Amino acid sequence: MSDLNDSCACPPNNGISRRNFLRSSTVLASGIAALAASLAPLRELTNYTSMEQFMQKYYREMTPPEMEKVLERIAHEVERQYQIRPHVRDYKPMDGVEFVYCLNLTRCIGCRKCVHACVAENNQSCNPEIQYIRVLKMPHGSLDMEKGDHNYAPSSVPEKGFFYMPVQCQQCKNPPCVKVCPVKATWQEPDGITVIDYDWCIGCRYCEAACPYFARRFNFTRPSIPKERLNPNMSYLGNRPRKQGVMEKCHFCIQRTRAGKYPACLEVCPTGARKFGNILDPNSEVSSILRTKRVFIQLKEEIGTSPRFFYYFDV
Amino acid sequence: MSQSAMNGGFKKSLVLGGVTVSFLALAAGFFLDLWGHPTQSPLIPLVATNFINTATVRVSAGELIASGGDASGLDCYACHEKNKPLKLTFDAESNVILAKEHDDIVMGHGRHKRNNNCFNCHDDTNLEFLQTRDGHQVKLVDSPALCGSCHGPTYRDWEAGVHGRTSGYWKRDLGPIDRKVCTSCHDPHSPAFPGREPAPGPHLLHPIAKVSKERIR
Ligand code: HEC
Ligand code: HEC
Ligand code: HEC
Ligand code: HEC
Repeated sequence: MSDLNDSCACPPNNGISRRNFLRSSTVLASGIAALAASLAPLRELTNYTSMEQFMQKYYREMTPPEMEKVLERIAHEVERQYQIRPHVRDYKPMDGVEFVYCLNLTRCIGCRKCVHACVAENNQSCNPEIQYIRVLKMPHGSLDMEKGDHNYAPSSVPEKGFFYMPVQCQQCKNPPCVKVCPVKATWQEPDGITVIDYDWCIGCRYCEAACPYFARRFNFTRPSIPKERLNPNMSYLGNRPRKQGVMEKCHFCIQRTRAGKYPACLEVCPTGARKFGNILDPNSEVSSILRTKRVFIQLKEEIGTSPRFFYYFDV
Repeated sequence: MSQSAMNGGFKKSLVLGGVTVSFLALAAGFFLDLWGHPTQSPLIPLVATNFINTATVRVSAGELIASGGDASGLDCYACHEKNKPLKLTFDAESNVILAKEHDDIVMGHGRHKRNNNCFNCHDDTNLEFLQTRDGHQVKLVDSPALCGSCHGPTYRDWEAGVHGRTSGYWKRDLGPIDRKVCTSCHDPHSPAFPGREPAPGPHLLHPIAKVSKERIR
């Protein structure tokens, strides 16, 4: 040991004696180890973004094989988290189709089945709760959405003197939420559905502030979906599980409606108040409603959003 | 000079040691979870499945037969005799007086007792059939034809998929539709839509309801 020290060519007095070197390198090593240990919480970050997702291209620039890879990545992530192999697809809009929703306010009884069927169909977080549909209880004679109460809990609905107005994304022709998005993570598709690319969203919540209908929801925490309620039929722009820090909202059940089916909220409605279809088809329910019924309300139409969601009364 | 170098080295390791110790303390803190996780909001119970199924408010005669349920109540001639005319009796308020075999029937069609005669709808010559207003015989399960004979505008809406519920495929060439008949939603004898318990409302992230009420006052 000591000859090693002696054989050192360095002058003994430059400050880096062997003992000093050993001491400071031990300190440095344990310092780095301690730093690494103290950064442990960062490991959880992998739950938020994977490298593949980070490197992914913009939705509208992806080629079909690239999309295939992305869908496979999503399926894999879902399987890892829920032990359920999902069927993830990227449903494309159909030609000659523009979706419209009509809701009969004379029929709706405020039972909220649509709210919960939507949660189950679209893999929304159950804790904390994320719900796309809010049912407002409104006094007869008023159409002011801000006067609505969504916390009603009587033993039986409907209550005398009130009507019920479910509000969800109105799929505007002129959507303010799309205009404010700084990264173009939300846009309007040719069939009228305004979609969100959850992998592109940066969570700035501008769209939430811009929406006059309070229709957009933000994942403040990691969403929790009970395994037994996970819907394995998923779509990229639709109901695949979201991550913390991104926006979501009603997308007319893209995974159902682009496959030709009615949305979940319509299927579950016990009164038949909800009507959905292709406005470009003159034989669709929505076309015949817009042709034959007389009173329509587009919420806040005075601000020029031009919703594709029509409320009407049967008279 | 040697003295000051020694001093500098000592100071350096003191600082490094201090930093290391504080990192270690931080690491230990995370390891022992000293700060805990953000307070968990109270557990929200899963909503009952009857709030997410697609059932209508009642089971029509057709659906009862198709599902293989107990359809003995529909077998009129298990109790009745063929070709024996039935006589209806009415009380002072012109309500039908029902046999106790039929006391599950609550007659209340319309607000003015204007449609409480059984044979407005049932065929008095053959109980297994219904009779439309214009005299056609239709099967017991074929309620829309019957109801439509008095409720024309509603029937036309129903045919167009506007009244009642049509589910399945909006794009008809991709799959079948399921159009619910009138008696899937309306009891023919008391057709007003029944009230029902609403599904639970939204759970607030923070129970602020009380505070905001205080503030309003
Ligand atoms: C469980 C046995 C039973 C079955 C099944 C049954 N009925 Fe009756 N029903 C009776 C009895 C008993 C009376 C009493 C009057 C009589 O038989 O003269 C009655 C009376 C009636 C009356 C007269 C109103 C009244 O309550 O007195 C009508 C109308 C009637 N039944 C229609 C039907 C029709 C339609 C069906 C089949 C869909 C049917 N019943 C099936 C036992 C039955
Ligand atoms: C508005 C028309 C209408 C009137 C009035 C009417 N019924 Fe019916 N009734 C029906 C129809 C339609 C069905 C088939 C029900 C279904 O599809 O669920 C039915 C079913 C029945 C059944 C078998 C199923 C059940 O609900 O038990 C009986 C029994 C019956 N009716 C008896 C009567 C009697 C007795 C009266 C008179 C008090 C009467 N109905 C009046 C339309 C009517
Ligand atoms: C013989 C004619 C006739 C037939 C058949 C008929 N109804 Fe009616 N219905 C009436 C009349 C009359 C009223 C009362 C209207 C009023 O009170 O203003 C009425 C009222 C109603 C109402 C409103 C009830 C309320 O309390 O607001 C409903 C719903 C209804 N019928 C459904 C049906 C269904 C479903 C059928 C088929 C099973 C049917 N009706 C068959 C004549 C008929
Ligand atoms: C999916 C359920 C559903 C079906 C199927 C359905 N109805 Fe209705 N109907 C309703 C509801 C909900 C109301 C609102 C009634 C109320 O407020 O009491 C209603 C109201 C009515 C009324 C009262 C007038 C009005 O427009 O408010 C009539 C009449 C009526 N229905 C007839 C029919 C007839 C005839 C059929 C079949 C051809 C039918 N219904 C099928 C759910 C249904």
